[in-house]
Amino acid sequence: MACEFNLNFLKELEREAVLEVLYRDQMVRKTEEERIRKLKLQLQQLRWKGARNVNHEYQERSCARCQKSLGLLMNRGAVCNGCSHRVCSECRVCLNPCLWKCTVCYAHGDVKVKAGEWFFEERAKKYPGEAKGCRLTIRLLCGLWICDHGNFKTANILCFLTLGISHLQELGQSKSFNKSVENLVLSLTTHIKKISKSQNDMADRRLLTTDYGQNVERRKQRRSQSDTAINITSRVSILLYNITSSPTSDAVFCDGRKHGSLYSLNSTCTESGNFGKANVTGEIEFAIRYIFKACILEICIKGCKNLAYGEEKKKKCNPYVKVYLLPDKSPRSKRKTAVKKSTVDPEFDETLKYKIEYSQLGSRQLQISVWHAGALKYRVFLGEVVIPLAAWNFEENSMQLFNWYQLKPKQHLKPSAELTNWLFHMINAPVSGKKDPGVPNCQLQVMIFGAKNLPMLRSAGMPNSFVKGCLILPDQAEVKRKSPVLKKEAFPQWKHLFVFDGVTPPQLQQSCLHLTVWDKSSFSSSDQFLGGAKLGAEESLGSADPVPPSVLQWQEVLRSPNTWMDFTLVLHSNKENFKS
Amino acid sequence: MTDGDYDYLIKLLALGDSGVGKTTFLYRYTDNKFNPKFITTVGIDFREKRVVYNSRGPNGSPGKAFKVHLQLWDTAGQERFRSLTTAFFRDAMGFLLMFDLTSQQSFLNVRNWMSQLQANAYCENPDIVLIGNKADLSDQREVNERQAKDLADKYGIPYFETSAATGQNVEKAVDMLLDLIMKRMEQCVDKTQVSDTANGGSSGKLDSAKPEEKKCAC
Ligand SMILES: Nc1nc2c(ncn2[C@@H]2O[C@H](COP(=O)(O)OP(=O)(O)OP(=O)(O)O)[C@@H](O)[C@H]2O)c(=O)[nH]1
Ligand SMILES: [Mg+2]
Ligand SMILES: [Zn+2]
Ligand SMILES: [Zn+2]
Repeated sequence: MACEFNLNFLKELEREAVLEVLYRDQMVRKTEEERIRKLKLQLQQLRWKGARNVNHEYQERSCARCQKSLGLLMNRGAVCNGCSHRVCSECRVCLNPCLWKCTVCYAHGDVKVKAGEWFFEERAKKYPGEAKGCRLTIRLLCGLWICDHGNFKTANILCFLTLGISHLQELGQSKSFNKSVENLVLSLTTHIKKISKSQNDMADRRLLTTDYGQNVERRKQRRSQSDTAINITSRVSILLYNITSSPTSDAVFCDGRKHGSLYSLNSTCTESGNFGKANVTGEIEFAIRYIFKACILEICIKGCKNLAYGEEKKKKCNPYVKVYLLPDKSPRSKRKTAVKKSTVDPEFDETLKYKIEYSQLGSRQLQISVWHAGALKYRVFLGEVVIPLAAWNFEENSMQLFNWYQLKPKQHLKPSAELTNWLFHMINAPVSGKKDPGVPNCQLQVMIFGAKNLPMLRSAGMPNSFVKGCLILPDQAEVKRKSPVLKKEAFPQWKHLFVFDGVTPPQLQQSCLHLTVWDKSSFSSSDQFLGGAKLGAEESLGSADPVPPSVLQWQEVLRSPNTWMDFTLVLHSNKENFKS
Repeated sequence: MTDGDYDYLIKLLALGDSGVGKTTFLYRYTDNKFNPKFITTVGIDFREKRVVYNSRGPNGSPGKAFKVHLQLWDTAGQERFRSLTTAFFRDAMGFLLMFDLTSQQSFLNVRNWMSQLQANAYCENPDIVLIGNKADLSDQREVNERQAKDLADKYGIPYFETSAATGQNVEKAVDMLLDLIMKRMEQCVDKTQVSDTANGGSSGKLDSAKPEEKKCAC
């Protein structure tokens, strides 16, 4: 099927107008979904009322719905055609003179009508396979996004895009469709990051959690209130939100290239796709430092020598250097030097900068690559150096000096299993009832989005994965949480919220959070461990070892009220190290 | 503005040539106001209104009252938006097919709109109301009532002459469409309520309770 609309006929302002409408529509849909959810819940409760009665049925004859006892001769009840339960005359609803149903069966039908299922059923006859939700909206969104070259501008649009996420999962059918959706999500997460970076307020957390039901007005309100809100409850909020592209999503981008504008998002993949290759020779000279005061990572690129010719036959070489702060491969992470003309020993003398928290560096790698810029858009890879920053001592002066590094061929980094898109949120909110003004209780919320590159344990297929969260308090008490199981997904997206409350900030200082991913076994055997990640205080302190990133990240989280931060949590495979 | 305190969400959609008065009509319906300015609709839009629908029993006796949340989709009549607007047909439960009583051409195009509907609506014979708008401009009238009625009869759909300027028949036309949809819904539902019965139950677990009870229905 055509995966998205061609909306090129719309002018820019028209596209925004359409988006605005789609956004409002999404609000309507959201309200509707919530309403239906409540209806179904009520129905469930009604059923339960009856179900409890089932046990009694052998001992006494009673109405399955209201539990009133029924006589043997008088008022003996009748069996409902819908559910085959015996019910009293009061628990019946007449549909027509010769048909009645018990209250539950009737309610079941009623919910179906009120949820508009008749419409979806009718439509499914004409369009089999049509998803119930806002498939159209997403298709349009993709279409709009493509004609907009991945540039959404207004805040409205951003909110809207976020609303869209909640529906992306229903779109599992078409491969090609998924790809554009995935591209969209990537672009939108990038945008969300931008706003959350720039605004650092509570409203943005709402943007990212599953509660997409707010409207723009409310968002604005919240924004203006957020300052006072923070003062009153002294909230601390942390966002761990990471956009990392896996090899699979690279493939997505390569495929997406036919859409014209998509590849601008991720040039690393287009490079390896249809770009030229040269033999890799030569060296590059650069220095790396971290400016602690300003939280800026600087890469000073001096120059290169003995580069290979980008176009060997023509003896042509116009080199430039490109840097990514992996694992982020989005354009946001890209920095480039100027192109030097006709030289294999270029001097750049340029400083490329990233604004990044120190605590995040541990999970990052610098990918510094050299390229030849040929005619038109022809690019040739000339070599690269990858520096894992975890091992880099930024406090050591000697590490800040210029150094020569041998250029290497493209490295195919083995992807490590990762917990993706984790959203951490902690609220310092006084809990009513407890009077301890000095130390307010707070709540730690951890939004689990998903994981990727999980190890394959089964010979047949994908894991049925779930996450356990275990908060280990200073007194070794453990607070445990568990997510639902997601069946057969290589890239599970749980979107589940762990809430740990009743803890105090000083307690958290010395606490440790263990997050583990498991493969649910289908039989009685125990669940398989897929990997784990830690955040927080180490049990064994006092050694001379450098402080691990997980500790720094945790401290950063506690120290920085109202800032969104992102970390990548790499999953480790040593099961013994984790409590679950 | 949308809270979930309603019983049904009903989605209607207005279609017809550009300038026949779709936007103005809907504005009259939701806000009871008239806008004499022509601002052509870009692609799509919608308005909302909460109404109470009184169902009627089989013998015309008053039934229950339901709160209905109406989502009224407005589409651009301009050809260049066609691919976008027709995509929205599929999501609507009923249609307000409009033409301009002062424009013969807009009336002739009703046939085209009908075939667009047949192709793109959720089913082959959706609920439609034919609306001849701008009835207040009687001196400029190009389509007579007989013509329009005949066409509506041919399609088996109701016909109304309305004016967004005076408000004439605006509410009536929408009410009629809503009524058609609610009736259709009841039919669909009766069918499922009955067929649920035929299949011997819908509420899962409870079925297994006591099979022998089934036989001794009184
Ligand atoms: N006198 C009179 N004018 C009307 C009536 N309905 C609409 N108009 C006018 O007709 C013009 C077009 O109305 P719109 O509602 O914008 O037309 P539309 O069908 O939405 O057009 P598109 O959005 O381009 O598809 C406006 O100037 C309206 O004021 C009516 O009942 N009487
Ligand atoms: Mg209009
Ligand atoms: Zn009863
Ligand atoms: Zn029943």
